[in-house]
Amino acid sequence: MAQVTLETNGSVCPFPLVEAKQAMTTLTNGDELVIHFDCTQATDAIPRWAAESGYPVTDFSKRGPAEWSITVQKA
Amino acid sequence: MLISGLLVGLALGFVMQRGRFCVTGAFRDVWVTRNTRWLTAFLVVVAVQSVGVFALDAAGIITLQAEAFPWLATIVGGFIFGFAIVLAGGCATGTYYRAGEGLVGSWLALISYALFAAVMKTGPLAGFNTAMRSVTVEQSNFYSVLGISPWLLVAVLVAAVALAVRHHLAKPKFTMAALPASKTGLAHLLFEKPWNAFATAVVIGLIATAAWPLSWATGREDGLGITTPSSKLVSYLVTGDAELVDWGVYLVIGILLGSFIAAKGSGEFRVRVPDAATAVKSLGGGALMGIGAALAGGCTIGNAMVQTAQFTFQGWTALIFMILGTGVAAKLTIMNRRPAPASARVPAGV
Repeated sequence: MAQVTLETNGSVCPFPLVEAKQAMTTLTNGDELVIHFDCTQATDAIPRWAAESGYPVTDFSKRGPAEWSITVQKA
Repeated sequence: MLISGLLVGLALGFVMQRGRFCVTGAFRDVWVTRNTRWLTAFLVVVAVQSVGVFALDAAGIITLQAEAFPWLATIVGGFIFGFAIVLAGGCATGTYYRAGEGLVGSWLALISYALFAAVMKTGPLAGFNTAMRSVTVEQSNFYSVLGISPWLLVAVLVAAVALAVRHHLAKPKFTMAALPASKTGLAHLLFEKPWNAFATAVVIGLIATAAWPLSWATGREDGLGITTPSSKLVSYLVTGDAELVDWGVYLVIGILLGSFIAAKGSGEFRVRVPDAATAVKSLGGGALMGIGAALAGGCTIGNAMVQTAQFTFQGWTALIFMILGTGVAAKLTIMNRRPAPASARVPAGV
C-alpha cells in the first residue's frame, strides 16, 4: 500500500474536498490519502464524505491553530 | 438599546462559526454533490423564523408591512449575488464570519462587498439601483394574493421542512471520524464538539426571531440584515456621521467579533493569506455581492432567510435566483476544473 499526501492548505472550501475526491480516484484499494487542510468547514465535509463513501479514517488530528490532517484509506 | 444589536451579532457569529453554517455551501451542494442536507438546515432557519415573525406580528410587537415587489431588480440582483458568493467563497454573513476566522481572502471580499453596497445604495450607482428597483408589481406576498391567512403558509412550510429534516435524519447512520477531545463540559460543547447542522439551524432561527423585537425597539423596523448595515458602516467611516450607526451596524460588527471569539476559543483562528488568484476572485466576488444584494434588496440573510419567512415574493424570488446563480458559478469554477494530480504541492486554486 502507498501513502499519498495532498497539501491543500490555503485552498478555501470546497476545494480541499474536491481535490481529495480527485486524488482518491488515482489510488488503489488499501492506499491511504493524507489530506492537509486549513479550511474550517472541511472539518465537517471531509470526514462526512469519508464516512458516506465507506472509506476508513485512520487518523484525524489538529496540527495547529486552524490546521488539520486527516488520513483516509481507499476501501 | 443599540447594544442589543451587538449581542445578537455576537451570538450569530459565534453559532455560525461553530456550526460551520455556510449558505454558499448549502446552495453549492445542491449542484455539485446533489446534496440537500445544508439547504434543508437553511430552510429550518426560515421555518423557525416564520413562526416567530407571524407570532410577533399577531402579538402586536412588530408590524409587518407590505411593499411593492421590485421583480426585475430581485431577479437580476439575486442571480448576480448567487454567482458572486461562489467567487467570494462565502455569502455576506459567511464572509463576515470567515473574516473573523482570519481568512485574508474574506477580509478582501468583505471590504469590497461593503464598499460596493454603499456605491449602489448611496453612491454613484444609486440612480441605477433606484431605477432598477422602481420596476415593480403591486402584489408583495403570497398570502395576500391567495387571500388566505399567513398561518396556513407557515403550517405548510413547517410541515415540508419537517419532512425534509426527517428524510435526512433517517438516512443510515454512519460514524464520522472525530477529532480527539481535549476539553470537557461546557468548554467542550461551546468550543470543541462538532455541532449538528439542524440543531445549529434551530438556534440561528431563534436568534433571527429575537432580532426583530430588539431591532424594532431601537426604531430600526426590520429583522436581521447585512447589506444596508454594511453600507451604513462604510458611510459612517468616511463621513463620521454617527446618525448612521444603527442597530444593524452593531449587528454586523457583532458577527465579526462573535466569530473571532468562537474561532480563537476553539483554536481555529489563524491569519491565512490566499494566493493571487483567490485574492482577485475574493475582491471581484465581494464587489458583485454588494451590487447583487443592493439590487435584490437583501443578501442570503435579508432576503433568502428573513423575507422568505414573511412569504414575500421578493424573498422567494431572490432565493430561487441566488441558487441558480450559485449553480452557474459552481459549474464554471468548481465542476469544470481540470483534475490536478495528487501531489504534495499547493495547488494554484484556479
